Amino acid sequence: MFRFSFHAKDGKKNSYLTAGTVITILVLALILLGIVHAPYDTEAMNTSEKFAGFSLLHILGTDNFGRDVFSRVIVGAFTTLKIAAGTVAIGLLGGLVIGAAAGYFGGAADAVLMRINDTLFAFPSVLLALVIVSLFGSGTYNVIWALGIAFIPSFARMVRSEFLRYRESDFIAGARLQGAGSMRIMAVHIFPNTLPVLLSSVLIGFNNAVLAEAGLSYLGIGVQPPEPSLGRMLSEAQSYLMTAPLYAFGPGVMIILMVLGFSLLGEGVSKRVNG
Amino acid sequence: MRFVLKKILTLAVTVLAISFIVFLAFSVIPGDPALMLLGGESDPAKVEALRQKMGLNDPVIVQYERWLAAFLRGDMGTSYKYSMPVTRLLADKVPITLALSAEAFLLMVVLSIPLGIYSAKHEGSAADRFLVVCNQVVMAIPPFFSGILITYLFGMLLHLFTPGGYVSFREDLGAFFAYLFFPALAIAIPKIAMAVKLLRSSVLTESKKDYVRTAYSRGNSTNSVLYGHVLKNALLPAVTFFGMAIADMIAGSIIIEQVFGIPGLGKTLLTSIGNRDYPVIEAIIVLIAVIVVASNVLVDILYQVLDPRIEID
Amino acid sequence: MGKTLLDVSDLNIEFHDHQAPERVVRDFDLLMEEGEIVGLVGESGSGKSMSAMAIAGLLNRHEIEKTGKILFDGTDLLHCSREKLRSYQGSDISIVFQEPMTSLDPVQKIGRQVEESLKIHHPDLSEQERQNRMLKSLSDAGLPDPAGVAREYPFELSGGMRQRVMIAAAMIDDPRLLIADEPTTALDVLIQEQIIELLRRINRERGTAVLFISHDLSLVNRLCSRVLVMHHGKVIETGRSSEVFQNPNRDYTKKLIASIPRVNLQRPRDNDRDVHPEVSPAPTGKNALSVKDLSVFYTSRGKGFFGRTQKTEVVHHVSLDVGEGEILALVGASGSGKSTLARAVAGLNPLHTGTIELPDGRPQMVFQDPYNSLNPAYTIRWLLEEPLRLAGVNDEKERKKRVDEMMELVHLDKTLGDRYPSQLSGGQRQRVCIGSALMQKPKLLIADEPVSALDVTIQVEILSLLKRLQRELGLAVLFISHDLRTVWQLCDRVAIMKDGLIVDQGDVDEIYLHSQSEYTKQLLQAACIVRREEQ
Repeated sequence: MFRFSFHAKDGKKNSYLTAGTVITILVLALILLGIVHAPYDTEAMNTSEKFAGFSLLHILGTDNFGRDVFSRVIVGAFTTLKIAAGTVAIGLLGGLVIGAAAGYFGGAADAVLMRINDTLFAFPSVLLALVIVSLFGSGTYNVIWALGIAFIPSFARMVRSEFLRYRESDFIAGARLQGAGSMRIMAVHIFPNTLPVLLSSVLIGFNNAVLAEAGLSYLGIGVQPPEPSLGRMLSEAQSYLMTAPLYAFGPGVMIILMVLGFSLLGEGVSKRVNG
Repeated sequence: MRFVLKKILTLAVTVLAISFIVFLAFSVIPGDPALMLLGGESDPAKVEALRQKMGLNDPVIVQYERWLAAFLRGDMGTSYKYSMPVTRLLADKVPITLALSAEAFLLMVVLSIPLGIYSAKHEGSAADRFLVVCNQVVMAIPPFFSGILITYLFGMLLHLFTPGGYVSFREDLGAFFAYLFFPALAIAIPKIAMAVKLLRSSVLTESKKDYVRTAYSRGNSTNSVLYGHVLKNALLPAVTFFGMAIADMIAGSIIIEQVFGIPGLGKTLLTSIGNRDYPVIEAIIVLIAVIVVASNVLVDILYQVLDPRIEID
Repeated sequence: MGKTLLDVSDLNIEFHDHQAPERVVRDFDLLMEEGEIVGLVGESGSGKSMSAMAIAGLLNRHEIEKTGKILFDGTDLLHCSREKLRSYQGSDISIVFQEPMTSLDPVQKIGRQVEESLKIHHPDLSEQERQNRMLKSLSDAGLPDPAGVAREYPFELSGGMRQRVMIAAAMIDDPRLLIADEPTTALDVLIQEQIIELLRRINRERGTAVLFISHDLSLVNRLCSRVLVMHHGKVIETGRSSEVFQNPNRDYTKKLIASIPRVNLQRPRDNDRDVHPEVSPAPTGKNALSVKDLSVFYTSRGKGFFGRTQKTEVVHHVSLDVGEGEILALVGASGSGKSTLARAVAGLNPLHTGTIELPDGRPQMVFQDPYNSLNPAYTIRWLLEEPLRLAGVNDEKERKKRVDEMMELVHLDKTLGDRYPSQLSGGQRQRVCIGSALMQKPKLLIADEPVSALDVTIQVEILSLLKRLQRELGLAVLFISHDLRTVWQLCDRVAIMKDGLIVDQGDVDEIYLHSQSEYTKQLLQAACIVRREEQ
């Protein structure tokens, strides 16, 4: 069973887990600061202070409306985190149900389900999300649903392979002989064994969701103004790249830190489990 | 041969399934196409007449059959926005996106294989550790941000290309590919990092297998074990990865076309989404699905050539 | 006295992978003459394979520290250059490994793998010459169609054939020393004998010295002139095989020898058994299991969108009975269908025709691999309680009491209750498995090779536990095994399976002494069980 530790199975230090934890805590602390008390109002415009450079007053400078970039970055990061959490939750729940059923029961249902799943899986999630957004319109909630549905196939695939693996194992055969029913075997006997792998996929899922959300809002499809969004800030920054190249720094680095933190954590966990 | 035929049959079925789902989604959800063609405040009788003419009152499956037959003839419908055949609208866009993705794919394969092998071979060295850290960071950079960085660094500071200075392939093929180089790089960078990481770990995993011990016991040098035995085995998972990367690269090009102002499928798709130009969106999605599924079939066939164990099927 | 070929002295091997260095071989000495067969015996973790790897020059990782001397024909392999070492590897020293399934490169044709040593050590050889020697080596290793085999990939061959391929590749450049690291452990008994015979012939005809590593002392005794016994990284006893086998000096060696089941057909069976009939439960005359005309199928789904499911019959029209309180052995090679039959009887494979009657209710099962038969997510106590929860015992106190009783019955220390399976040894896990299988008080226990994954000394403990429980609880047992020696000691009746059919069936004494079945005779011979008329 998975027990938390910064060391890999063989006792070596797991630097992935350490680095991931440090970065994620830093990101979460910044987001928390944004929730509790951002240094400036994210909407407060100040035309006299357009494109101010990095300073003690505005540590990441200001944008084309003279708004404080740092405040907008940490508030935008919270939006991104919310969308990522929603995405992963939908993907995970959908994936769990489909994957567990397909993996455990097998047979024709599995074949059909997985054929559909593989087709969707081959389809890039951003594209799938674009299709869904184009049908239902943009906005935060539609983006969450769009990405969440697009994430189901990869979770389902992972859950299925885990359930398939355990379904054939001797200890499940033993439980069946002792009279355990399918629901109990799935929930009590198999599910806890999939937790470590599930945890690492959830973290990797966060990583992908942040990237996808940023991409969509860069394209202007995700979060709508005036809510600050990292992707859209970068798209604005691109228009002023010649005059104010530093504007891109804040939102860009924030996305990288978020993704990096989750991916390192995810890999750390999987290293911890697989040695 | 049977394998190839079977794969092609699978391809046909999959594409058919996708096209049906897409058709269904686009004919049920967005609303009345006749209304959209005529504009908001049209005479209901006129709308009904157009519905009749367009066959919108037929059962969905009949409509699908008609749509599919037309699609196979190369008739993808008419754009709501531009009132011109979708086929003509897209004819110029497809080669651009294909060229961009192909260039990115080539960059990925050519750069990642040597780097991955180098990193695994010198496991634990300073260069390897640098590569590992680099990979991890690079994977965290969204492609559009690396696109922006590349634009700034190579375009604005070093003047190696003119941002926004896209050259059509009809004008100058060389300049066309030259302009696509940096966008392709932006698409390829995160994929290169992933491929290097995968190859490194797959070479290292293979190196610990029993057959490697056997190869050493025959007096092979480290290099001949690596290139004679480990590499072919280690490339197998990489081939699968490369195959899946094709789809991601086409998706990536949608965003990157936006960053570099390239008038490809992606840009058209985004404009059409903005305009709710559904026939165009539908056609682009089915086209991309065909490309993605076909490339997956190609990879499956390649895999089968490389791995004798698959043949039993 | 022949010429000294190999002189290993003071060999120490230490692993530095983990925080604390781990010494796996201590002060290892070995002297081998040209053309000699020496056995190296020990259980898993005794350091026998590590010593062999060191001699073959295969421990080159930086994390492994080696000291001492390995003189091969006067050259110190431990302290020479990599180039020098490589000039010996595959040419003068060859090695054959335990796992023929994984020891060959999966994506390279057999022919290329077999001739590889020649390519390395004799680059001047013509393609034709190399081809000829490769084919000759394959046919010398007893492969009937060398040219055909050379064109195949490893996955297309059976385990026995792969091991012959490994030997062909090892012998192609006429080495002076062949190291065989448990070359038969992964193979079926009858194939094992053939491989041993092949090694013997190679030694006799080509004068190749063989260092034979095994956990099986009786096998070493039959093949080797001298033997070294290893325990915890040290050689604890050495001498002529027959002497060590008959008059062991050390307690550990005695224990190893005692763990080989005694079989002497010349005297009543009870002399070889710890359990005597008077304490065995009296037969009731009723059956705990009665199988009639049973055929079992497996389905496999073809790949691809239109993959059809294929039904293969693995067990064909089999009938057998297990009486109450009786142990019936089901013996056969891998792939004979014995496990398939057992799983069908347990109700784990519904695809069968014929009848299975279980008058005393559902049977329970103990599996072969104790590392896969306990749920790794739960503690031992939880695992032992689960059968009670499933049986509807809802009183927590009652469950705890019964688990305590069971732990005592199977000799498990109470403190192990809070541990997870991964923290237990193989023997302890198998005790938990047995305990868990008995929690619901079944009348029939199916034991599918319950000891074959364990070290020999642990095997004895688990078998005597099974025997004791069977006696005390009056259990009927369907005991699946490939080992006729164990069956002699443990079982009342035996059924022998081959290719999905029962080819021989009857009382153990009757079958061992008088069976006329050719296959049974072959199996007995492979297990070195000798009848009077054949002596």
